[in-house]
Amino acid sequence: MEIELTVNGTPTTIEAGKEADLATALRAVGYKGVKCGCDGGVCGASKVIIDGEARMACGMPAREAEGSDVETIENLGTQDDLHPIQQSFVDHFAVQCGFCIPGMIMEAKDLLSETPDPSEREIREAIDDNVCRCTGYQKPVEAIRDAAGRLDGGGVATDGGTATGGGTAAGGDHCD
Amino acid sequence: MTDNETRPDGGTASRADADAEVEDIDHSLDVDESANNRLDPEERQSVSRPTEKHDDRKLVTGEAKYTADYEEQFPDLAHARVRRSDVPHGRVADLDTSAAESMDGVLAVLTPWSEDVPDAKYTSAGQSYPEPSPWDMQVLNEKVRYVGDPIAAVAAEDEQTAEAAVGAIEVEYEEHDHVLDAGEAYSEDAPHLFDPEDVENKIVGHDYERNRMASIGGSLGDVEAAYEREDTHVHETEWETIRQSHAQVELHTTLAYTDEDDRHVVITSTQVPNHTRRQLAHLFDIPIRDIRVKKPRVGGGFGGKQAMVVEPIPMALMLATGRPVIYEATREEEFQAMRSRHPMKVRAKSAVTEDGDIEALELYALSNTGAYGSHGMTVAGNVGSKPMPLYSNVENVRFEADVINTNTPQTGAMRGYGAPQGTLALEGHLDEVARDLDLDPIELRQRHYMEEGDVDEIAGMMGGEGAKRVIRSCGLDECVERGMAAIGWDEIEQPDAEHLHRGVGMALSAQGTGVAGDELGGAQVMMNEDGSFHLMVGGVDIGTGADTAFVQIAAEVLGCDERDIVVKSSDTDNTPFDYGAYASSTTYISGRAVKKAAEDAKGKILDWASRMLGEPVEVLDTADGEVYSEATGASVTLEEVGYESVYGDETREHILGQGTHSTDESPPPFAAQFADVTVDSETGEFEVNKLVVAVDCGVAINPGMAEGQIEGANHMSYEMATNEGITFDEEGHAEVADYDDYAFPTAAESPSIESILVETHEPTGPFGAKSVAEVPTNTVPPALSNAIREAVGVRITEMPITAEKIREKLSE
Repeated sequence: MEIELTVNGTPTTIEAGKEADLATALRAVGYKGVKCGCDGGVCGASKVIIDGEARMACGMPAREAEGSDVETIENLGTQDDLHPIQQSFVDHFAVQCGFCIPGMIMEAKDLLSETPDPSEREIREAIDDNVCRCTGYQKPVEAIRDAAGRLDGGGVATDGGTATGGGTAAGGDHCD
Repeated sequence: MTDNETRPDGGTASRADADAEVEDIDHSLDVDESANNRLDPEERQSVSRPTEKHDDRKLVTGEAKYTADYEEQFPDLAHARVRRSDVPHGRVADLDTSAAESMDGVLAVLTPWSEDVPDAKYTSAGQSYPEPSPWDMQVLNEKVRYVGDPIAAVAAEDEQTAEAAVGAIEVEYEEHDHVLDAGEAYSEDAPHLFDPEDVENKIVGHDYERNRMASIGGSLGDVEAAYEREDTHVHETEWETIRQSHAQVELHTTLAYTDEDDRHVVITSTQVPNHTRRQLAHLFDIPIRDIRVKKPRVGGGFGGKQAMVVEPIPMALMLATGRPVIYEATREEEFQAMRSRHPMKVRAKSAVTEDGDIEALELYALSNTGAYGSHGMTVAGNVGSKPMPLYSNVENVRFEADVINTNTPQTGAMRGYGAPQGTLALEGHLDEVARDLDLDPIELRQRHYMEEGDVDEIAGMMGGEGAKRVIRSCGLDECVERGMAAIGWDEIEQPDAEHLHRGVGMALSAQGTGVAGDELGGAQVMMNEDGSFHLMVGGVDIGTGADTAFVQIAAEVLGCDERDIVVKSSDTDNTPFDYGAYASSTTYISGRAVKKAAEDAKGKILDWASRMLGEPVEVLDTADGEVYSEATGASVTLEEVGYESVYGDETREHILGQGTHSTDESPPPFAAQFADVTVDSETGEFEVNKLVVAVDCGVAINPGMAEGQIEGANHMSYEMATNEGITFDEEGHAEVADYDDYAFPTAAESPSIESILVETHEPTGPFGAKSVAEVPTNTVPPALSNAIREAVGVRITEMPITAEKIREKLSE
């Protein structure tokens, strides 16, 4: 069946089987940053932002995405011009094998758009369903806190301005 | 082949004369260390600087390629699925594949009797040759020994069809009695998993009449005499550990195809490309040169990929169909049919005087290796050979282990490799001894632990290389001191609520750095005419940042910008040999090979610069992309040297530097762990307020990456203390099928971890480095058990530590 949706701002038609999940369908058309690490809807590696909310694409039938606005990791920065969240993950050595990272960054983006100045507890709750086996979560949590400061501090969003909430909290610097 | 011999630390046993040479080891502290190896912090240009991790930009943008991401290059890719045993022990009496074979889109159905399926015995353990693991496995099995043992494999046009075909295979079993517990299996009347003739390359101490695949041990002095002495107190404690899953987020995945030159290419998520190439060649009777193993980015290993776990299946299907085949395990298979940490019971015993002199120390481990023996003996050996040398001043020491087959999934290598099990027993035991004799637990340890210059005989007491090793670097004192300060050891304030009790506990650990006398790494540096370099290295980056560390080491030697080095690693057609990423060896062994290769290239660069500048080599050095003269200040750029060496008028040379490294040394890194816990004495609920772990890894080549290793390892260690692990029902079915069954500590459930790097200088390592990735995996179970003992007075010896167990003990 054909599914029409918007991926990263581009109207897209995806050919997918009836039972196909959205992660497999997105990967099939080249969005390889969507990762699959479990048998569906558990590990968080496939998180994308669907109509403004971070969700696991693998836990969702592709047909349910009909008409949706989907944002994947490919819509954030490029290698030469990273999004502030991506840059913060790099700067904090928050990436090891990296397999869970695109999903975690999409969740962080969702969190920071709603909660521009999250506490450590709020960050940990947000990424609670993102399994990371390498980092012990310590550095990703620090990276997300710092990214909040970067997004908040100077409006340096490089993703076309979708980082809402800039300037809502005082003092942008959460660097440890 | 005759029986294999003992090697405690993953080494081979093929060289019977090797032990004789051990006695000749130079026990002086001095090593032949080159002048460039010891740099003051301010002299370092690349080493111990926070260089950005080489692959991070690709990883955070989702552009990095893991094995499954190669799919799109193969329009005719076939997908594999595996039919696994439904019974814990038995024989396949009948296998009807006709329905599966007749399904549309099914390309091949392989059974144990198919021509393309090897019937050779092998071990999946990714170790040197011949592996110190028994050859007791087959790719597909008529005799099945655990629920999940592979029986048949299917290739189909797509994954759904392959899955449906696997389900359509009808299997009839002749069922046998089964046994799941190691203690029960190790008795005369338990069902036998193996006839002795089922197994080749048997391991020392095997007794298949009692399901024992190996038994090893060693001792120093006379522990029995110390127990008999009137002035010693004898304590005995027993500990139990979980079956922990690696649970790396990238599934075991392999893509196999035959290329345009008729060579078999295996793109695979592995820690051991060279071992896998050799093992595939032996299994399929194909020359080693005709197989190419290529490692792309790997989504975590932790030992679970120090094995040829899935590769033979897509290889066989590829040969049968003539099509490229991908096999990506499911998460359920990961938990039920891949590998896990050996669950063990470990008994600790000691003789200690009233004044706190440890006169004897002993550990005994009963290890459950599951259905097959991969890494069984070597992991068990490390239960003793890694933790016990911490107390190298103890004169009477004994270690023994029995390794038992059961009808559970086979276990394997996992980060820490036996040391976590031994560390729990040893460090929990010493805490009990200190309490019983009213001794300070830290002082008791400090009086006996090793220090720089000690000659340690314990690590080698079971045989193997490095039987006596000199400790050339040791930061234990500073680890303890800084860890105590960070946790606030002497300043713990009790909560106001009467039912809440706070306590701190600690534990120490030592690991190794590579397998003593059984490692090899190779590297090549090729200079390009623009002054940049290609670094070809066999060393394996599985997400650890090894490629980045290699670049930093090479850049430090060559005096160039790190961005001027292109690193190519882990492709058996194009990179030098390497044993692989295990035993905490990569920075130390492969990194040292890189350093030698860079030094070799640098020597040639200086020769060319000497001719170009008309100055002797002795006054020349490299820095900032130039060769400069210390005598005159004259300089040429590396680019000028590059062009001149390749396009020069009179003579030409491609500047190639080569290095290989192998050693009998395996210097221990050290960790001091501290845990701060609050326990509710009414409910037994506990909360870990903070974990602190201070690690001496020598000189950290990249401190940010080293901290990441420490925190990740400590989280895995925390999981070992608090998670049930993989459990089974009475019929041998695993009760864990996905992450949400596994009770993995999530971000919100995990304590904050403070990592502290304690710098020492290890003269045998590249720029003073030794290992970091494993030692912090060993320490949370004992530190947390000790902290809870401190807080509420009860001792939990059986992992995991749960509120229920604490409550039960409190009510006793």
